[in-house]
Amino acid sequence: MDILIVGLNHKSAEIGERETVSKKLLTVELRQDYTYKLLDLKDENGRPFVKEVVVLTTCNRSEFIMNLSSCAQGKGGHIIKNYIAKYFFGDAAEENIFYMYLNEDAVRHLFSVASSLDSMVIGEPQILGQLKEAYNEACKFKSSGRFINKLFHKAFNCAKTVRTETRISASPVSVSYAAVELSKKIFNSLEEKKVLLLGAGEMGKLTIKHFIKYGVQNIYIANRTKENADKFVEESFAAAEREYLKVMDFSEYYKLLPQSDIVLCSTGSEDYVLKYADILPVIKIRKQRPLFLIDISMPRNIDPEINKIPNVYLFDIDDIGKMIEGNIEIRKQEADAAKEFVETAVKEFMNWKESLNVVPVIISLRKKVKDILEIELSGYIGDKKEKDLVINSLTNKILHEPTMLIKKASANPEGANSIETLKALFNLDSEDLTGTDKRGEDENVGKYIKLIK
Amino acid sequence: MLKELYLIPVAIYIFSYIPLLFKKEKKMYKLFLSLIYTGFAVQTLIFFIFLSVKGLTVPVHIDRFVFFNAWILMFIVVLFGLFYKAEYILLYITPLVALNLLVGFFVPHIHIKPDILNTDRTILLTHIVLILIGDSFFALAFIVSLIYIFQERKIKSKKNLKILDINSGRGYNLELLDSINYQCLKIGFPFITLGIVMGIYLSGSLFRTFIIVKPIEIMSLITWLIYAVLLHERVAKGLRGKRAAIFSVAGFLLILFSLSFSFYLFPSFHGFE
Repeated sequence: MDILIVGLNHKSAEIGERETVSKKLLTVELRQDYTYKLLDLKDENGRPFVKEVVVLTTCNRSEFIMNLSSCAQGKGGHIIKNYIAKYFFGDAAEENIFYMYLNEDAVRHLFSVASSLDSMVIGEPQILGQLKEAYNEACKFKSSGRFINKLFHKAFNCAKTVRTETRISASPVSVSYAAVELSKKIFNSLEEKKVLLLGAGEMGKLTIKHFIKYGVQNIYIANRTKENADKFVEESFAAAEREYLKVMDFSEYYKLLPQSDIVLCSTGSEDYVLKYADILPVIKIRKQRPLFLIDISMPRNIDPEINKIPNVYLFDIDDIGKMIEGNIEIRKQEADAAKEFVETAVKEFMNWKESLNVVPVIISLRKKVKDILEIELSGYIGDKKEKDLVINSLTNKILHEPTMLIKKASANPEGANSIETLKALFNLDSEDLTGTDKRGEDENVGKYIKLIK
Repeated sequence: MLKELYLIPVAIYIFSYIPLLFKKEKKMYKLFLSLIYTGFAVQTLIFFIFLSVKGLTVPVHIDRFVFFNAWILMFIVVLFGLFYKAEYILLYITPLVALNLLVGFFVPHIHIKPDILNTDRTILLTHIVLILIGDSFFALAFIVSLIYIFQERKIKSKKNLKILDINSGRGYNLELLDSINYQCLKIGFPFITLGIVMGIYLSGSLFRTFIIVKPIEIMSLITWLIYAVLLHERVAKGLRGKRAAIFSVAGFLLILFSLSFSFYLFPSFHGFE
């Protein structure tokens, strides 16, 4: 039971290369198709290399998380990696585009990805949702089993711990998000607030989208050319978002200033659009209700002196930029603390995985004891049902302590000797340990996973 | 003997700050809140024990009223914290409550006017209770205003602006802080006004004149005037924000000054023996 992760991300591959891979995994059907291709990958004796697989694709990474069968031990990982590289890039595939992690490294990598430590923007919250989506897809494709289930649940758990125990995603690192977060520092609820956007630019679009996401329902857009504003709304926002947007004539925006709580300025003007003298009467009409001004234009469109007016809060692109820089630093510091949580989770998972290696020994030992009891008791108990009951009960009682000891031994490297001694004592040969067919093995594994827990 | 009971909630309140010294912030904050609520439950229990044992009547030791003040303050803060989802106020107000309890423990045995008529006793009791309730609202307004001034300064200066502080729910925003301040003023002001009116009546009844010019009375009237102006400005002219917060802070500092002045330094100024 080996875990293998093959993939590429923003660190290992250029955007063009990432695009090539993600295009071939764009739809659910394509991902399903490729999942089955991986499951069908076989060695020269016709044994499948991969038992379980999850395909993860995001804008920055594409990864294949796999549980390998015993025949893939050794060179199997490289064969799979080459197969994947060849599938996406043909013969021109470059070796170092794809990375490959095996077992403990793979677990560590997956847990780091889930905890958003491996993301382009550390602490970004989307990756966990994308990972959950990938796992759900694998469940639908029936390409995930007990092992992958356990691995992913542990990864989700680890991500949750990192998120709750550290402040890795506490502070915003994008201008639009920072603008919304700043508004939440000034206003209690954004739902009934009015937002006025002056100008129609990319940054304005992103910020407005964020405001809509956080419940703002009254947004007015004023642009010098009204047609451009109409086009901007039509092209940049979905139908559901457009319900909250109203385009107005630029010459009339000042009439709306006293009613606006948040003013977002991103025009291409070379002079100040909002001057000190414009805002002073506005705040009086507003009866000192706070006014939040965000100037994301360059050169600045709002007179910085306005910040001196009581209950008016002005932030320009530089202020927000400085804040974001500080937040990125905080996230980096938090990432160090988060790595400790990841390490603990990796250790726990690897202990659990190691304990699974002794499952065949336990199965074999139980079989041996049962066989002996069967022979010895058949002369005394005639009823089969009663006999099975007695045999099971005695087996459990006899083997309870040894099973616990085997489990403990599996957790440390020196335990291998004890297990070898046990095998020799009870004459548990290798045939006994590997001879079970796949279905039988799976059933037994399930049974003993419970026992080991 | 019952006075020693005051120290139990004080100990719990002090102990509740210990978890905040540890690194795991969110969990520790929850533990802190649980401990504070436990302290408040104990405080409530003691309050009802007092009520059942002796009742809140005159004559009574002044410490009983200090204890009542601590309880009603905590009660108001807990209610506001839960209603506005701003439990973080507890973080700042609990030291004030604990201090109040300690004052109750160490306060000298001053009896409040034992030799007055029965009707006057009821009025005196109502006067004290109303003033204490009003003061508690103003104490909350004071703390909230301090937080407001601090937060506002941070936002205006754009320095050290870590957007999400620990324990900051949606409550750490200027609008909510200002709103709590206003609510406290609106509710606290009628209590204080009624309390002062009763005080003036008692003054007339006890000293045969309606207004005896004593420092406490002048200060009470100045305090009342500050809050009256603040309320008027808020209602009529829409005063809010930093200026309103400064008014609240000034008003409460004057209350603190006049209370300590009258009770602890010069009890005779308030008509005590």
